[in-house]
Amino acid sequence: MGAYRHFPVFMVTVPLVCAVLLPFLGYLRQKWVPWAAMLPLAFSSVLGLLLIGKIPAEGYLGYELGGWPPPWGIELRVDRVGHFLMLIVCGITLLALAFSRRYISREVSGGRLTAYYVLFLLMSGAMLGFVATGDVFNLFVFMEILALSSYALVAITGNRNAVRAAFKYVLMGAPSSIMVLLAIGFIYSATGTLNMADLTLRIADSRYSEVLIVAYILFVIGFGVKAALFPLHMWLPDAHSIAPSPISALLSGLLVEVSTFAIFRITFSVFSMGSSGLFASTLDAVGIFAAAAVLYGGIMAILQKDLKMMIAYSTVSHIGYIFLGITAMTAEGLTGAMYHMLDHGLAKACLFLCAGNFIFVKGYRRIEDLKGAWRQMPWTCFAFALASISVVAIPPTAGFISKWYLILGNIKGGNYAYVVVLLVGAILAAVYCFRIIYYMFFQPGKEGAWEGESRDAAPSMLAPVWVLSLGTLFFGILSYLLIPSLLDAMNFLL
Amino acid sequence: MISLVFIAALFALLLYVVANMPPMGDPDNPTNSSEVIERYLEKGGEETHADNVVTGIIINYRGYDTMGEVTVIFCALAAVLAVLGRERRGRIYAYVDRSRVPSSVIVRTMVALLVPFIILFSVYTILHGEISPGGGFQGGAIVGGSMIVFTTIFGLLESSQRIPQRLRFPLEGSAVITFFAVGALGLAGGGNFLTFAWPEIAGNLQPSLVVWLTVLVETGIGLGGAMVLISILFSMIREEEEIAVVP
Repeated sequence: MGAYRHFPVFMVTVPLVCAVLLPFLGYLRQKWVPWAAMLPLAFSSVLGLLLIGKIPAEGYLGYELGGWPPPWGIELRVDRVGHFLMLIVCGITLLALAFSRRYISREVSGGRLTAYYVLFLLMSGAMLGFVATGDVFNLFVFMEILALSSYALVAITGNRNAVRAAFKYVLMGAPSSIMVLLAIGFIYSATGTLNMADLTLRIADSRYSEVLIVAYILFVIGFGVKAALFPLHMWLPDAHSIAPSPISALLSGLLVEVSTFAIFRITFSVFSMGSSGLFASTLDAVGIFAAAAVLYGGIMAILQKDLKMMIAYSTVSHIGYIFLGITAMTAEGLTGAMYHMLDHGLAKACLFLCAGNFIFVKGYRRIEDLKGAWRQMPWTCFAFALASISVVAIPPTAGFISKWYLILGNIKGGNYAYVVVLLVGAILAAVYCFRIIYYMFFQPGKEGAWEGESRDAAPSMLAPVWVLSLGTLFFGILSYLLIPSLLDAMNFLL
Repeated sequence: MISLVFIAALFALLLYVVANMPPMGDPDNPTNSSEVIERYLEKGGEETHADNVVTGIIINYRGYDTMGEVTVIFCALAAVLAVLGRERRGRIYAYVDRSRVPSSVIVRTMVALLVPFIILFSVYTILHGEISPGGGFQGGAIVGGSMIVFTTIFGLLESSQRIPQRLRFPLEGSAVITFFAVGALGLAGGGNFLTFAWPEIAGNLQPSLVVWLTVLVETGIGLGGAMVLISILFSMIREEEEIAVVP
């Protein structure tokens, strides 16, 4: 074992500690804060990249915090899937932060600017910890940091609508946190341990299966609110559309996925499935809601007039996709779900940042206003189109690969109804995405809408957008780099 | 209507669980008989060198959780400041609420007399947390409580002169920073992150080292928690004052 076994704990802790140190820099040199905030995330990304190929053969890299062996101390457990997601988190947070520097200085000023970066780093570090941890209570702790910082980041501009959206989010989010805490309490009362690996063993021969089932249901509802699964999604469209665009990208591209991953983790690593029929029927119910989410999100996205609102409803729909992959219970379905997290993270972050560009340069939020946009903002428009293609799942992009595996997984699992739902969802996505592409490229703009100084957004705002949209293309063409090892990891889990 | 149905369903679900939970006080309960709790209770004293098992667990065995909780507290402060805004540097906002009758001499004298003792008690709670019930979180909350009392009687101007921003500001993050420093020291000592006992240091030094590090972490938590609470209090009062001034 080399020094790399320490990497996971630093990937998580360094952003958190730097968030605490950042106010000092903000006090001395306010101008350096946006640059300094990138350092810890770049550090985490480098450590994450160095970890590639270093996950031991037994499937995970365990780290005993404080030197106490697992059931007594806290364990970080980075398996291949977790590592994959940690890399996604590092990459997207770094790009969104790079985008923020110019964008946020217009919406937020003074001392709040430092607070923005502090909360941003706290949120990124918490997401990394949320994915990496192997302890149920530690999961809750990171969820609290994540939730608190995201509430504040939604409200950071301080205008009335933002505060209202954030309050709605708190009203949904706080009870969900309590449900997760209750579930952890129930699990502990029935097993006497909190470590995930230890829980798997103890749950198998526990006498209190009623308690465990209710704990599982509470976990699903609690994380389901954070993940915005269909009937619990009410907070999402408001919060995602009103938050500053980099934060929308983070909320939509990462937060909901990380929460979905928590359900995935709880389902497969803690409750080893199949021990009871009730677990399976809970998951069946989740599948029905997920199918409803795909259709509802798609239809609502078509009906929206506001660009960011449309992207937000599209997220509701795509969370349904990921859940349909999980409920398929086949290696292909789970691989599709994980790959969809990558694809959706890249594409949605890109779409929200493009929307941010439109808002920053012209102040346009309505879809109508985008008619003829490419004349003035060709770079933003082409990046938007590329990401949209990935959302619709047209072949060379990553969206196609993930949906291919999702459909394959559901066929293997015998859920033909869900296959139809997935295909209909893709058609709905095509409707709402191609409408915008049509408006942007093939419709004449309104009189005077795109005149004045004919300039696209600044390079520092275009670069993150293009990295993200080319990322969807890259992971679509070179999907063979990742798919086999993901399939392996999933076969190992099942 | 939907929410009522949902709450009723949740209520029924929770009742169902409580009826099926392991009976309270039964020695065969998983929480009483698992190997986790056994080691905490039987070896906790000698392994963590803390006489108070609870302190041993939260600071040492499960230190990373506590580090996370401390970060949650800091995050709460950052969230409050992000939404309400911090008082501007070098300027103190007075609490101008003219509608209120000023408090009487008796109240003022009593509060001025009591607050030092409350703070003394909190210092005791923090430093003694390693031996008796108490610790950093409790001590910090007591300091915060004492300042709430002081501020309601004497007003923001008076109390923000006692604990000015240039004192609060550097100490707000002290809990997280102490934890990280102790964790990194454990790493430098040859163990994992957050190891209190350094494996490569002579054995007879270890007990006192662990005790001192525990006390250090407790102090950091206490100071940081207190300052965060006071800062949240001050920034909330300022908001109230702004609303009061607008006609």
